[in-house]
Amino acid sequence: MLIVKNISKNFGSFQALDKVSFEMNKGDIVGLLGKNGAGKTTLMRTLTSFITPSSGTVNIDGEDISKHSLSIRQKIGYLPEKPPLYGDMTVQYYLNFAAEIKGVPKNKRLFQLAKVLEECDLEQVKQKTIATLSKGYKQRVGIAQAIIHEPKLLILDEPTSGLDPMQIQQVLALIKNQRDQRTVLLSTHTLNEIEQVAQRVLMIKSGQIVFDEPLDILLKSTDPSQLGPLTLEQIFINHHQPQASKNTPQTPETTHQVSNE
Amino acid sequence: MNKIFALTKKELHSYFCSPIAYIILIVMLSLFNVFFFLVIDQNREVSLRDVFQLMEFMLVFLIPLLTMRLFSEEKSNGTMEFLLTAPLTHTMIVLGKYFSMLIFYSLLIGLTGIYYLIVEYFGEPDPLSMLSGYLGIWLEGAFFIAVGLLASSWTSNQIIAAMVSYVILFFLYFSSSFTQYVGGSAEQFLIQLSTHTHLENFAIGIITPSDVVYYMAGIVLCLVLTRLSIDNRLWH
Repeated sequence: MLIVKNISKNFGSFQALDKVSFEMNKGDIVGLLGKNGAGKTTLMRTLTSFITPSSGTVNIDGEDISKHSLSIRQKIGYLPEKPPLYGDMTVQYYLNFAAEIKGVPKNKRLFQLAKVLEECDLEQVKQKTIATLSKGYKQRVGIAQAIIHEPKLLILDEPTSGLDPMQIQQVLALIKNQRDQRTVLLSTHTLNEIEQVAQRVLMIKSGQIVFDEPLDILLKSTDPSQLGPLTLEQIFINHHQPQASKNTPQTPETTHQVSNE
Repeated sequence: MNKIFALTKKELHSYFCSPIAYIILIVMLSLFNVFFFLVIDQNREVSLRDVFQLMEFMLVFLIPLLTMRLFSEEKSNGTMEFLLTAPLTHTMIVLGKYFSMLIFYSLLIGLTGIYYLIVEYFGEPDPLSMLSGYLGIWLEGAFFIAVGLLASSWTSNQIIAAMVSYVILFFLYFSSSFTQYVGGSAEQFLIQLSTHTHLENFAIGIITPSDVVYYMAGIVLCLVLTRLSIDNRLWH
């Protein structure tokens, strides 16, 4: 579904992405972890054609992004870190506009609109102006615009950022429900969110992928210093501390990944 | 085409959902009306020539207020990312926004059509000359909107977008005033660059290909530069 090969991106002398490579299969939900400034947003913007990579290739559903950007954008649903909403529009008007510019045929538009309103639990606020909605609702409207054209690949940049615990659970449940319909790449700082929805974890540090493991293998890894299961939080800290090696997991796969760092 | 229409509708919706559209319409029409009555009262002519020239001068001040938000607001709200990652070409985005302002401006100019009826009530104006003047002022506004759209694509700050538009439009409008400082081909260039020179012909009922080409070329140039600005993400 998604093949990323040796993507690099330079902003002047700053290298935001450094030969990033990974693949995602149909139906995967992959969590992208990394500190602020690690390159998560740059990577996601590259996958959505918002940023052109300095080198490397991105292939989505068999098409090269540099040659078929427009048809690839038709297959992608994207929620940026800040939901891209027009405060003066009602939820219904905005989603109808999103459907129009994303090429949903006129005869299917009403059906799709009703579907995402129900899926994202927005029915009761559909006539409200977006500016008057709570942050949780705004985030759900953001997700609704991303899925209204039935994309094959859904890219969510920190979809739970700034939400209260209840709202986070609602958004995570919504993401989980996408599993059967599309491939999902989501970034977050909150590790337990990844544990709840993702099957695989990608960790990015200084523009490089330093960790790419299925979640179940990762969580079975043992922490030699604590004689217990290694949590995502510990792995995250290990990878972002200079003296990380003492807490590295003992599976051959993760040992290999860490030694690459 | 449907996507361009969707963008145009969205822009007009945003305008008419806020007081901006109504304030600009009322301010512009009030100013036009005041000057119309002053000019007609003073000249006692069944012609709108001087009215068109005053309208042109006011457009220099008012069009940047219309166009300053077009791209700047999208950038500052983060919705530009939404448009640029949707399956839209950059040309569609530019045309969608441009057409919305053109429709708004056409409505404004259309409302001044009553001037013709008033003049006709008192005399026998030449309808073709009037039509030519209206075409000229419409083309001039269409050109100014394209300039404003370009300036808006360069920045995420609406005030800066308006200021840049003012600088360009003032230069275009007043360029013929600088002819006293230069001579030869530079003088001719400044005269031909001035919007004032080209509207003058339309206002007296003369439509020449060179005047039409001037406005059309200006519009196309600005729209192409706006498209390039978006391609290269020049705004800051």
